[in-house]
Order: sequence, then structure tokens, then C-alpha cells
Amino acid sequence: MPFIKQDNESPLIWLPRLLLVLALLAFVGYFIVYAIYAFALFQFPFDYDQGEGFELMDTVLFSQGEWPYRSNDEYPFYSSNYPPLFHVVIVPLVWLFGPQYWTGRLVSYLGTLITAAAIGYAVQRYGRRWWLSLLCGLAFLASNYVYQVGPLFRQHMFMVMFETLAVVLLALTVDREEKEGIRLNGRFLIVMVLLLAAGYTKQLAYATVAAVFIFLFLRQPKRAVLWAVPFAAVTGLIYLWIDWATSGMWTLNTITANVNPIVPGQMEGLYRQWFRLHTVITVVAALYAFYQLYQERLSLFTVWFGLAVVNAATAGTWGAGASYFATAIAASCILTGLAFGRLLNWLERHQNDRYLPVAFYGRIWQLPKPAGPLLPIGAYSLVAILFLMQADRMFHMPTHTPTLERIAALLGKETAVYISPQTSCSATRPPERIPYVDSAGVSLLGRPPNAADTAAGKQIVALIAEGETAAFAEDAGFNFYLGRDIVTNPTQLLNLYYYGAVDLTEMLGMLDRQEFDTVVFRAQFYPPPVLEMIGQRYQTEHLVQMNGFVYCVMRPR
Amino acid sequence: MNKPFLITKRLLGLGFIVLGGGAIVGMLALNLLGLTAHSGIGPTQQRAMLVAGLVIVIGVTLLPLGNCET
Repeated sequence: MPFIKQDNESPLIWLPRLLLVLALLAFVGYFIVYAIYAFALFQFPFDYDQGEGFELMDTVLFSQGEWPYRSNDEYPFYSSNYPPLFHVVIVPLVWLFGPQYWTGRLVSYLGTLITAAAIGYAVQRYGRRWWLSLLCGLAFLASNYVYQVGPLFRQHMFMVMFETLAVVLLALTVDREEKEGIRLNGRFLIVMVLLLAAGYTKQLAYATVAAVFIFLFLRQPKRAVLWAVPFAAVTGLIYLWIDWATSGMWTLNTITANVNPIVPGQMEGLYRQWFRLHTVITVVAALYAFYQLYQERLSLFTVWFGLAVVNAATAGTWGAGASYFATAIAASCILTGLAFGRLLNWLERHQNDRYLPVAFYGRIWQLPKPAGPLLPIGAYSLVAILFLMQADRMFHMPTHTPTLERIAALLGKETAVYISPQTSCSATRPPERIPYVDSAGVSLLGRPPNAADTAAGKQIVALIAEGETAAFAEDAGFNFYLGRDIVTNPTQLLNLYYYGAVDLTEMLGMLDRQEFDTVVFRAQFYPPPVLEMIGQRYQTEHLVQMNGFVYCVMRPR
Repeated sequence: MNKPFLITKRLLGLGFIVLGGGAIVGMLALNLLGLTAHSGIGPTQQRAMLVAGLVIVIGVTLLPLGNCET
């Protein structure tokens, strides 16, 4: 706070410092909470989120030199619906340590840390205030959505990492090019590789690719086209190669099975929730974006933010969720940092002036400026207060230890929530105390798994081990634990079933002949004919609760 | 020497107007072709048309900024 120091007689000078320390403490606290959750997940050997095990299966197949894009019509009725890069990156860990859930969880977690570092770096390059850069980077990790999904064996946050790296590098490169009048094509090439990596991590990256090329077109139309053509060609050639190598299974499983219907109300509900949880960074980012739109040239971050917010509408489709806002959150963290940096720089520049020039919509106003340090003290305090408000909005905390429970109580928050276990194949159960509070609402993600969850997973494994075959299970974790085949990817089968793109004859025949010793349900995501056949030929013998879900372990009738 | 082609605020404004207008026309066309679940304009369509209208308004307000670079 260099320009407050000049008048250190004012006792108020300590106010912004105190507030900024509090804001930093709040976000460092969120980071500690994030680490607690992540390390608990690293130790948990089963699926925490539905689908994690299938991403591990993809990695295992890649580690054996096989494609995970295969026919769902034949045993083991398994295919992946995600692009390969995230899984390929984890392959060396699977070679070294075997099919372990912590491998992908660790890589995804590290990806979020890299994203936060990139956000902080971008803010630092433009704002030159370490505390502001740190707050913006940590604000990303403190988002309820990033917290919940970041340390899971899911590829989404790894895509956000590539997107953020590409956008930050391109923004800095274009700025340097324009300042120095040079062309940095080598850096452009790296940006294109990062975008390609994002797209081949998850299809949703297309919005960031579009943002990059729209920005380039606004700044340098001819160059935008010159880079877009080879980028599209390379992307297309890789696509065609994988499709050829998998005899069309790549297109079927990653495109056809991924065009999901809109769930009425889901999109609107998630937009409302996202705005409620991230109000400060979203409003500041939007105001700064509008300022740029009317007053100066649009930055890449602004274009990215706009497209990411629009693209978040895809969170309203079946199978999608709140994590689809992560790109918009990354962009808003950067824009918030840039906006606050600009504000403080502007005040600093005019600290000795009697008037503050305000330019907007082609006009300039001269606003009278109060003498003394009140204005800078107020500005720094405001920035800190806004970050504190943001911290309060996104409150989330596991309360499974007395210390964490006491902190939540001291902050005036709930110390637990009461949720009924999720049941799909058994009778409903009364609500249970869950030691995790989240302003996003009741969530089954976010609570660190504990020893009881691990014991429950091992109990299901022991029940499956009583038979000789792989279990026909909705989670892959139990078969992984026993070293048996991974059979089916239920949501994938359901999607393909709705598109009439799967032949269930062989699967139904095996179930009819009771060729699986055990069936394990968690949410009954299988296509209706499969559920019907299981209902006819199998019966529930054990109910085991793990991670807030009641699993039904079924045996042949 | 020719001046390089630049996207101005006015051009961007026109782009927004075309985008918003196109979206509204497209949504109305969905109804005319009977491709929606509702017989009239559904609630999601109404909200989408409101957003498209806002895009047009933003486009119009950009027009006076003329040749400023985007």
C-alpha cells in the first residue's frame, strides 16, 4: 500500500491492513480445508463420485495400449465417453502403482493448483500486488464447485487448467507483441497446443477455443484465420485418426452418447446457485467487462468470461453439473484481480491531484477528490471487504474434527447438516448427521470420506468375493479391488440406449442366465430393459451404506 | 498503403444486433415449424428471447462509439 504510507499519522491506516490480513486468512483457511478434503480422498480406495472408476478404467486400458472406445454390445459392455488426454497423462502412475484411485485424484488436484497459480500469475503481471494475486488464485480454489470436484478422478478440472494456461499465455503474448511490435509465433504455437490439449481432455473446451479465436479475430483478423485453419486441421486429423483406429467407436461414444437432453429447471437453478455463491467476483468481472466493452479494447479475459458464462448453460443437460461453471469462475477471478488492480493503480496515479478523471462512453468527467489518505484507505478497505464478503458467500467446511466444528460455530455457521442417505433400490432411511456444511446447499460431494466408508466398501468387496465372477456393478471400484473385470459403464449404456445405439441382447442374455454372481446398484442408471431383467432374475440380499448412498448387493433368485 | 482491417465498436455493435435478432428469429421459427414442446412461446424461450433482446440493446449502444477499436 505505497500511497497510503505517505500519511502514516492517520490511525485509520491500519484498517485496510487488518481487513486484508483477514481476507487472506479466510482464503488460506479455504485452501487448508481443500487440502484436508483432497488428502482424505487420496486415501479412499473406492468411487466417491459416480464415474470415477470408469475414468480409472480408461487409464488402465491406455496403460495396456488399448483404446477405451469400444463396442458396448459385447462383454464387458464397457466404453468411455471422454477424450483421452487426462487418462494418458495418468498412465505412468498406473504403470508404477497399479490401478489406484489416488493417481487421477492427485493429478486433478495438482491441475487445480496449477490453474490457481496461472490466475495469480496473470493478476500479478498486470496488477503487481502479491496479496491481490494470491487472493484471486485462492478464490478460485475456494469456489464450492472447484472444492467439490477438484480432487476427484474426473477430467473436468484438468481441462480448465489447460484452458486457463492457454488464455493467460495468449493474453500476455499479445500484450507483449503489441507493446514491442514483434511477432511471437512460437508462443502462439504453444497456445494452440494447450487448446488442443484442453479439447482432447474434455469436449467442453470448445467454448474457450472459440473465445481465443474470436479475440484474435477482433485484434488481428487475418492472423486469426491463418492460425485457425491449421488448428482445425490438426484437431480434425487427430479426431479422424482415433475414429479410424477404433472403427467408429470414438464418434459413437464421445459424440453421440454425449448429446444429452436438457433437464427442465436444472440450467436456471445452477445459474442462480452459481451467482449466489460467486456474487462478488461475478459482479466485479461483469462490471469490468462492460467497462472494457464501452471504454477500451476488449481483453482476452473479457471475451473468455463472456463465452464461458454463456457456455455454462450446458450444465443444464442430463449428466452435467455445477462444475461446468469452473471456466467462468477462473475467468471471473482473473477479471476481478485486474479490475481491483486497475482501480488501485488509478487512485495511485492521481494521489496528488485535486480531481479524479473518469472516462466512459466517449466522455470525461472530473470528480472532486477528498484530500488526505481517506480515499486510498477506503479503496483498499473496500477491496478487502469485498473479498471477505465473497469468502462468506462460498462458505464450505468439513466439521468432522472438533477444531473445524469450533471454527464453523465461531463463524456463526451450522456445524452439520442432516441428510437422508440416497436410496434407489431400497426403502428410504431417516436423515443422518453429516459433518459437512456448504452454502451451495445439501451436497454429497465435499464431505471427506472416512474409515466407515472404507469399511463399507470392503464389506461390499467381501460380498462380491463370495462369488467367482466379476460383479455387474454401477461402481468400478469393487471389481478393481478384487482384480476382476470392470463390467459396464451404466450412464454410457443409458445414453446409447436412448439413441438406439446399443444392442443389449448379449447383456440381457447373461443376466437372464444369471452368469453374474453379484449385482451392485447405487443409483439404477442402467437402461430400463437391464433394470427389468435384473429385477426378474436377482434379489437384494444386503444393503450397505457408503458415502451417503445405500448400495444394494443382489444375488440370483 | 492500405489500412489494415479492424473490428470497430460500431461493427461489434452491428454484430451483436445481428446475433440477438437472429436468435429471436430462430426461436420464433422453431414455433412456426412446430419444433417445440409448447404450442406457444414457452418459459425457456421467453427468457432466451429476453437475453437476445438485451444483446440487441447492447449492440445499439455500441453504435455511437463509432471507429474506436475493439
